[in-house]
Amino acid sequence: MMAKAVAGDVNPYIPKPVTIITVKNESLETKTLRLKLYNWRLSFVPGQFVQLLLPGVGEAPFCIASSQLDQKHIDLTIIRRGILTTSVHYLRPGDAVGIRGPLGKPFPLDAFVGKDLLIVATGIGIAALKSLIIYAIENRKKFNDVTLLYGARFLEDIVYRDELKEWEKSINVVITLSKAPPEWRGLRGRVTDHLGSLRLGKGTVAAVCGSPAVMSSIADALVKHGISSGDIYVSLERHMKCGIGKCARCIIPGGKHVCIDGPVFRVADISIGAIGE
Amino acid sequence: MRKALFCCLAGETMIKISKQELLQIPSLLSAMGYRVIAPIRAGGVVKLAPLGPDDQPEVEYIRIINSPKKFLLPDDESLFRYRSTATITSYGLKIRFPTAEGPCPVTILPEYLPIRERLAFFGIHQCMVSSVRYLDKVMMSDPADPYYKNRREGMFIAELDCDEGDEYCMCRTLGTYKIPAGYADIQMRKSSSGYLVNAASEAGKELLSRLKKQDAQGAYPKPVPKMVNDFELVARDEQEIDAKGAPKSLEACTLCAACTVTCPTCYCMDIEDKFSLVDPSNVSRMRTRMSCQRKCYSAIAGGTAFLHAKEERFKWRVKHKFPFSINAFKLVGCTGCGNCVAYCPAGVDFREFVGRRVA
Repeated sequence: MMAKAVAGDVNPYIPKPVTIITVKNESLETKTLRLKLYNWRLSFVPGQFVQLLLPGVGEAPFCIASSQLDQKHIDLTIIRRGILTTSVHYLRPGDAVGIRGPLGKPFPLDAFVGKDLLIVATGIGIAALKSLIIYAIENRKKFNDVTLLYGARFLEDIVYRDELKEWEKSINVVITLSKAPPEWRGLRGRVTDHLGSLRLGKGTVAAVCGSPAVMSSIADALVKHGISSGDIYVSLERHMKCGIGKCARCIIPGGKHVCIDGPVFRVADISIGAIGE
Repeated sequence: MRKALFCCLAGETMIKISKQELLQIPSLLSAMGYRVIAPIRAGGVVKLAPLGPDDQPEVEYIRIINSPKKFLLPDDESLFRYRSTATITSYGLKIRFPTAEGPCPVTILPEYLPIRERLAFFGIHQCMVSSVRYLDKVMMSDPADPYYKNRREGMFIAELDCDEGDEYCMCRTLGTYKIPAGYADIQMRKSSSGYLVNAASEAGKELLSRLKKQDAQGAYPKPVPKMVNDFELVARDEQEIDAKGAPKSLEACTLCAACTVTCPTCYCMDIEDKFSLVDPSNVSRMRTRMSCQRKCYSAIAGGTAFLHAKEERFKWRVKHKFPFSINAFKLVGCTGCGNCVAYCPAGVDFREFVGRRVA
C-alpha cells in the first residue's frame, strides 16, 4: 500500500534564499560564510547539516558551524576542495545563495549530560563540531570535563584562531600539529599520539570528525583507551545529493543513509569500514 | 478510490476475453483518461513506450529492456527552474547578486508545475509490478518524493502474468512472481481459449464493465512461473557477500553500467544545475540517473572515493539490492527480472554470486 502524503506537501527539493553578510578568511584555503536568513528561522541541533545551493553551480552538504541560539544567522566553514567549494571562495558579502535544511540526525545531546565530553577534530573536521563546542560552552554546567583535541597539519591550517582563544577560558583546548614549524611550542604529532595524556574513562563520550581515514584510526585508538564504541560518535562525510534519502548516494556499509540516519553515527552502530575509505 | 483495501477474494471480478478484446484494453484505458504505456516491439527488443494510436502492444514477450522506472523516475527530469544573475566570464561562471541591504534582494522562484496526467501501464509482468512496489518503499518513505508521488497517485497497472521465464530470470527464487496486494488493478493471463482478466480494484472493475462481458466462474489461477535455471540464495548478508570472491566473468566488465540502467529498481540519482551558455541566468535543477559503477558515484570533494575497484562496485550493487534494502526498507531490491544479466555485454551473472544453481 502506498504511504500517506507528507504533511503540507512541501517540496523538499526547493531551497530557501539567504544572503552572505560576512566572509571571514580562516586560513589560506578556508573561509567562514555568515548567512542571513530573511523572514524565516532555522532551528537546528548541533550535528545537523544544510544543503548549500550555489546558483548555477550545484549543491553540497555542510555542517552548521554556529550557535543554535542564533536562529537568524548560520555560519558555514568551507575549505576549498572541489568544484563547488572553489566557487564558494569567490563569493562576496551581498551574494545570495540557497539553503535547504536543517537535515540529518544531530548529536544525542541528552545522552552527553553529566559526562566528560571529548571532542576530537582533525583538519576541517572542526567545522562539523563547532556547533557542539559552542553548545558545550553555552551549557557548560550540563557537562563534566569538556576537552577539545584539535589536530592540524601545518600551523597555517589552524582555523577559528579567535574562537580557540575564547574557548580556552571555559574548556580544555589541546592543539597538536603533525608538521609543526620549529618555533611551535605546543604539542606535535597526530591526535592519536596524545590520547594517552588525557583522562579518559568510562564516563567519557567522544565526538569525532576528520578525514575518513583519520576518523577510523581515531575511533580505534579511543576504543583502545577504554571508551566503549557505544560512546564514540562520528560525523561522516558523503556527497549526498538530495539530503532526504532518495538519491542513494550516501549509503554506507550496513545500508544506512548518511543524510537521514546520520551524519552523526555511534561507532557501535556502524562498521569501522563504513568510516574509512 | 483504487487505494481501498480489497483483501477478500469475493471483491474480485473475473472475465474471459479473446486476444482481440485484450488488445482493446489500451484504448479503453485512454478513454478513461490515462496515458497508456505498453510494451512495443521495436529495433529487435521489446520496450515500454507510450502507446500511439497506430501502435500494437506486444503481449507475447518475456523480457523488456526498460521498466516502469523510466516513467516514474525519468532519466532526465527538471525538478524546478530558477533565475540567477550568473554570467559567463573569461575565467568561468560568475555569480553576482545585488548587494543585500534590507530585505533579501533575491528570491529563488521555483517554476515547478505538478504533472497532472495519470499513467497506465499495460501488459507488464510480475517482476515489473514488484519493482513499482520497491520504488514506492524508497520514494514514498517520509519525506515522500513529490515528483514520484505525483505520478504514482492515480496510476493504473494492467499486469500480464508471465508463465515461463527465459534463461536469465530468477523471480521464482525471490518470490516476486506474486503480485502484492493492491499493486495490480487488473491481472491478465493467457488461458486455453483467449485471456482471463481479473479486476482487483475499483478502477479495474470499471475497466472490465466497459468490456461488457459476463463474469466467468472459478478462481483466478496463480501458478508458479517455470524457470530455465533455478537458483537458491546462499549469500544475502553483507558479510557473506564481502567474504566471497568476485565472479570470474567480472574480469571482462568495462563498467558500462548497463546493469544499473536496465535494472527496474536502480534508483540512484544525481541532482545538478543545468543551463545554456547562451542564457546562463536561466537554470534548471535537473535530476539525472547515476550508477554505482561510476567513480563519481562515491567521490567526495577532494577526490576521495569510497568504491575503487570494479569488484567493490559490483559487490556494492549486489549489497544495495540485498542487505542494504532489507535493512533500510525491509524489502529485497532485486525483482529477479534478469535484465542485468541479459543485457550485460561481459556476461556477468550476479545469480551465480548470490545463489547456487539447483538442478
